[in-house]
Amino acid sequence: MSVAPANPLEMLAYVVSRHIKDKQIVYVGTGLPMVGAILAKKTHAPNITLVYESGGQDPIEGPMPWSVADPVTWRKSPITMEMALSFAQAANGYVDVAFQGAAQVDMYGNLNTHIIGNDFLNPKARLTGSGGGNDLISLTENTVIVGLQTPEKFPAKLDFITSPGHLYGGNSRKEAGLLGNGPVAVITQIGVYDFEPVTKRMRIKSLHPGITVEIAQACTGFELLVPEGEIPVTETPPPDVLEVLRNEVDPQKIFIAFPPR
Amino acid sequence: MASKFEYNQEALKNLQIEDPSILDRLIDGESARQAHLKKERGKVDKRMSLKEAVQEFVKDGDIYADSGFSYVRTPLQALFEVMRQGKKNLQGIGSPNTNHSYGIHYGTFKYSHNSYLGAEMRGTDRSYSKAVKEKKVKILSEWSHGAMALGFKAAQLGAPYLACKSMIASDMVKYNPYVKVVDNPFKKEKDPVCLVPALYPDVVFIHVQWADKYGNARIYGPAVNDIALAAACRKVIITAEEIVPESDLRNTTNTNVIPFMFVDAVVHLPYGALPGNCPGYYYWSREFWEWGIRIALSGKDDKYLESFWDYWVFSCKDQFDFLEKLGGVRWLNKHQVIERALNGTNEDDGIDLSYESVIPKWDEE
Repeated sequence: MSVAPANPLEMLAYVVSRHIKDKQIVYVGTGLPMVGAILAKKTHAPNITLVYESGGQDPIEGPMPWSVADPVTWRKSPITMEMALSFAQAANGYVDVAFQGAAQVDMYGNLNTHIIGNDFLNPKARLTGSGGGNDLISLTENTVIVGLQTPEKFPAKLDFITSPGHLYGGNSRKEAGLLGNGPVAVITQIGVYDFEPVTKRMRIKSLHPGITVEIAQACTGFELLVPEGEIPVTETPPPDVLEVLRNEVDPQKIFIAFPPR
Repeated sequence: MASKFEYNQEALKNLQIEDPSILDRLIDGESARQAHLKKERGKVDKRMSLKEAVQEFVKDGDIYADSGFSYVRTPLQALFEVMRQGKKNLQGIGSPNTNHSYGIHYGTFKYSHNSYLGAEMRGTDRSYSKAVKEKKVKILSEWSHGAMALGFKAAQLGAPYLACKSMIASDMVKYNPYVKVVDNPFKKEKDPVCLVPALYPDVVFIHVQWADKYGNARIYGPAVNDIALAAACRKVIITAEEIVPESDLRNTTNTNVIPFMFVDAVVHLPYGALPGNCPGYYYWSREFWEWGIRIALSGKDDKYLESFWDYWVFSCKDQFDFLEKLGGVRWLNKHQVIERALNGTNEDDGIDLSYESVIPKWDEE
């Protein structure tokens, strides 16, 4: 029996799952990162521990939560935390990787979830604000940024820095006093990016099947760094993993329906 | 009026706060201590109705803290009573502070200490965006969840401030008059840290599953910031699904998280977290949030907001009226079963999370 190829959101969820190693402690929010984390747990990384900012952690398997405080996030948890203590776990080195989305991402992996427009008191749109986003990228050992890529969402300059990535490049993140490695990868419907070690600028790591450097650049508001040599094609999900994703992880297609609901 | 504290001048300018004395009470630990010293010391029956508690303890202009998390164990029925009683000009604070947005249109809330506004995967709160642009709400400070949580925790610990690694190098420090990025005095090398002052809101309602009549309270599920808020706030009202004998709480000491001495009033308020989730008791109404976020809080037209709150708040006298509108006993039983299944405490074969849209025809576009 043939399995239909992955749609862009299923591809995103799969690539997220591949950024999780077994036995890691993973800090997740709602949406695609959670889908990817649960997919990882059901496939190659059964021994990961999920941590949520509301204080839920290490739940047994259950349906997809709609909120980071949903009962599913602490289903039969051996222990739950208070919010301040949950972020303290990240600061104290008990979180390996966190996943984040944003309204805007710049070339250094800084994130904006505050405003669109340049007047804070009269913005084109007021967004959610930080939530736990600023804390996670400031405190966690590794951050992976996940989202849809367009020139507007990947602008040359952010309207507001909510969550600091590599700030202005070079050593500026470390000098600012932030913890951890900051953003280590960016996953979009176009490709996967890392950050060049010296300048800390976003660099193409692999492109999804059919995507060229020109297409990736056209979807970006700043200049992407292009590595030397042939650019790898992102690994696509094998049929058995796609079936787990569709039938067990998100059977109601809350997050992986395309076009999105 | 002269302000008692040193605020970040850049943030005052960026937020256009002309009289910073409005900021003082949130970090005035001495006045909070005086309020705590005046609280009842004896073990007395503190039960009263929700109406009485709101009348007695919520004053116009108070700093009102949200508790629980977004729509999990949040005291939404208390908030609706605050709106019904026409309280005005409150400062809203909480991590998240998303529930304050409901009352801005009615003047219930005039000021925001922001951490997160929106309903996660259900979308951003466009009515808040509209309120900012129309100057119906004045932003007093911007926070990360972790930094605000640390401010409440500092108050609980009796520490004037705590240092952390959140918020440094973020534009939020230019829009938060309270926090200060300084060099860690213990380190020889340069090491910037963010100082967060202890935060003392005026009033908080905390919805719990079980409390005794004196105010000792037990929470099932994540406590989020509520243990810290109970210790910090000048006025603390417990709303409880059930009032149990004190002896019950004494039998399992380690799951009780709020001691009676912090508590000013105890309200027996079954279904007090509706339309949100009360762990162990009932799951939340997905119908309500579909209607709320997609129509009422869409920011398109105030008439949607007004018809929504007329229906859900102003034409309800209490939480029982509200429950009837959700679907009464049938709705409740379904959501009790779902909740227990999600908690893993009943047989969970075939949890039915589907729901019918309740968006009325007259509200559709």
